[in-house]
Amino acid sequence: MEPFRLVIAGVGGQGTLLASRLLAQSAISAGLSVKIGETYGMAQRGGPVMSHVQIGGMVHSPQICPGEADVLLGFEEGEAVRRSVSYLKRDGLALVNSRRLPPVEVISGMAEYPSRERLMALLSKVTGNIVSFDATALAEETGDPITTNIVMIGALCASEYLPFPEDTLVEVLKKAIRPAYQEANLKALELGMKAFRRAAKKVRNFGSPLAACS
Amino acid sequence: MSSHPVAVDKVGKVVLLMGNEAISRGAIEAGVAVAAAYPGTPSSEIGNTLSRVAEAIGLHFEWSSNEKVAFEVAFGASMCNQRSLVAMKHVGLNVALDILNPVSLRGVKGGLVFISADDPSQHSSRTEQDNRWLARLNCVPVLEPSSPQEAKDYTRYAFELSERVKLPVMIRTVTRLSHMRSGVTLGPIDRNRRRAEFDWEGFSYRVAGFEKLFRRHKERHEKLDRVQDEFEELSFNELKMDGGERLGIIGVGFAFSYVIDAIRRLGVESETAYLKLATSHPLPERLLGRLLRSVERVLVAEEVDPFVELHVKALAKDVNPNVNVYGRMSGHLPREGEFSPVIITSALAELLDTEKPCRPRDELEADARKMLFDRMLTLCAGCPHRATVQALKQAVREVKGDLKGVVVNGDIGCYGLAHAPPMSFEDTYFCMGASIGVSQGMAQVGVDTIALIGDGTFFHAGIPGLINAVYNKADIKVVVADNQTIAMTGFQPNPESGRTATGRPTKRIMIEDLARACGVEHVEVVDPYDLEAAKVAFMRMLKADGVAMVIARRACATEAVRAMRPYRPVPYHIDAESCIGCRLCVAELGCPALVWDDEAGKAWIHATLCTGCGVCIQMCPQGAITKVEAS
Repeated sequence: MEPFRLVIAGVGGQGTLLASRLLAQSAISAGLSVKIGETYGMAQRGGPVMSHVQIGGMVHSPQICPGEADVLLGFEEGEAVRRSVSYLKRDGLALVNSRRLPPVEVISGMAEYPSRERLMALLSKVTGNIVSFDATALAEETGDPITTNIVMIGALCASEYLPFPEDTLVEVLKKAIRPAYQEANLKALELGMKAFRRAAKKVRNFGSPLAACS
Repeated sequence: MSSHPVAVDKVGKVVLLMGNEAISRGAIEAGVAVAAAYPGTPSSEIGNTLSRVAEAIGLHFEWSSNEKVAFEVAFGASMCNQRSLVAMKHVGLNVALDILNPVSLRGVKGGLVFISADDPSQHSSRTEQDNRWLARLNCVPVLEPSSPQEAKDYTRYAFELSERVKLPVMIRTVTRLSHMRSGVTLGPIDRNRRRAEFDWEGFSYRVAGFEKLFRRHKERHEKLDRVQDEFEELSFNELKMDGGERLGIIGVGFAFSYVIDAIRRLGVESETAYLKLATSHPLPERLLGRLLRSVERVLVAEEVDPFVELHVKALAKDVNPNVNVYGRMSGHLPREGEFSPVIITSALAELLDTEKPCRPRDELEADARKMLFDRMLTLCAGCPHRATVQALKQAVREVKGDLKGVVVNGDIGCYGLAHAPPMSFEDTYFCMGASIGVSQGMAQVGVDTIALIGDGTFFHAGIPGLINAVYNKADIKVVVADNQTIAMTGFQPNPESGRTATGRPTKRIMIEDLARACGVEHVEVVDPYDLEAAKVAFMRMLKADGVAMVIARRACATEAVRAMRPYRPVPYHIDAESCIGCRLCVAELGCPALVWDDEAGKAWIHATLCTGCGVCIQMCPQGAITKVEAS
């Protein structure tokens, strides 16, 4: 079996670590092997963060090769494009939160945030399977913008790429999140799934998923 | 708290653990009684994990004031027949080296294992120093795991080995292993506690008589010979060889993970023999000899220095002078830095003359780099260090007339980011405590300096330097950026926190008391959020004679916001009518919560990021920034 390979791209504080852990825990619950590699350095200070997740197959190193990821889960638009260009396989699925988090060079006027058109034009050179929506707006609907990561996981689940069923993920989520925050997180998961289904209809050549998400 | 996966008492259960957590679990399974550490990336989670489960497991864990102290604490317990662990980042071993040397000569009683978390490509460090050289310098056996499972299993074994041969044992991890996660199958936890008793016969000069330690050098070599014999047969080292392969590969420690993945990616299983080498010191020479005799070419893959490679070349001269040894010394692998799947796959493909399967998209990546910012590091929204640096700049401008009127020597911690724009107010930054030391050399030759040091770093290595400054009449000015936590590595407590690693209340040790006890007469404490008060305090410091110190004390904003949850701080907002677009707030402070709107030509405040520190309102010449009314 070839492993399912996923790259999560974001900015420190967006919950990429929690997202990769929830997916890995689900894989273990489903009896699958898993490897997560994290690149965070001093991420708490606004730096870029990236997780490599590999589920199933014979894998030893936590790092994915360039152009090898089946899915790129981007929690921030610029970071999604940056990492897709390096890691997403040709015609792989790019799931992009269109909400932007401008870095300090942009907010203090030292650099410009490139336009959406330019970013998407670059991303299109790697894949046409781009599903982009404002995940943070959906997270805000749940009452807690911090659930953006769960909205994105919901979208990933709806893409049917994950090699384990949705129920496994929900069980793991319930165990991992404190009761007071569960409702918002489960709602976030659902909103993410719906958003994917809405947005995916517009994508012309949506690729064939690896495994069914029941 | 005991529900943490490292404390789960179910043999055979598979839990998701990060490399550092797995090391902690290995120590717990081995029945470790005392563990001590100083936080430092990539090692910090070892201590974080142990601090959470120590009381439930029944072991003593402490954040020591530095790595040398941590090592000595562990050795003290070892002399009393207890198993003990020390964890640190690679450069921490430089601090602890002074005690490692006599410990390795004298020998240990209870198993003593120390963790060196090395940082190839220096993701979060000042160097990528390879600590295996320091292990060899001190005749210390080294185990190098390549996965979280091995990190746990090797740590457990290391305690048994240490106790059997009476040497300290080093586990060497690297950033990628420390921070990776995978399933780990749990083993049994040894809960039998031995009676703690000082080994009088083994260690007491009173009982066994005084001896010069150098006499033990021979004994230390003999111990290492026994370790080598054990490593020859150890199952952690794995030789896969059928004979007649075109290439032999020695994958050392974590580098093996790249090697085995590359072999599979290239589909060259039948053409390659490999040795998965877990013991890099002492080397199992007979095992290596078997590989070297049966291939014509061998590639050594290891991070970071050619430590094994050098030894393999020497060994090859004796066992098979015709074998070609490739690696970092031959140029087949880069001389510096960590590996990646691309580096190892490419090296193998080249040596085997096959096509490279994973090629970076160089052109597209160049396009992305051109289009996108780097996302440079910055202090968090509301960080008190930003206010400290702002007030310090204002004070230096007023007293010296020019920001270059002083050299600002920084230190290790978040405030080290004072060098980053738009603050740009730090000149040097070397190692723990160096700010106070190097400032003195400058001061002694008449160059004005400010030492900028944090609270954790001051406790770690600042005090001897401060005493030296007073004693030797060095006219230095010291600013302590005191956020009351070791924030950079994940908010560990320090001697000023008033609580121990496990959350027990303890005496608070105040930096102003220490400074006065060191003989510093001019000591002030200010709240940096009050820019004016901080500025005038810094001005008084700059004008004072002799050693002077200002402690800018305000709790870390990120930690303060966390402590408030589920409540959030009341943010500020900018009145668009009053804002004249002078850009002073965004350009001077660079706070992530202050955003410049190019179209409107005005600044606005990101309400979910704003921590309500109120520093920017003191900068605004229009009074356009006000507190959001509570609704």
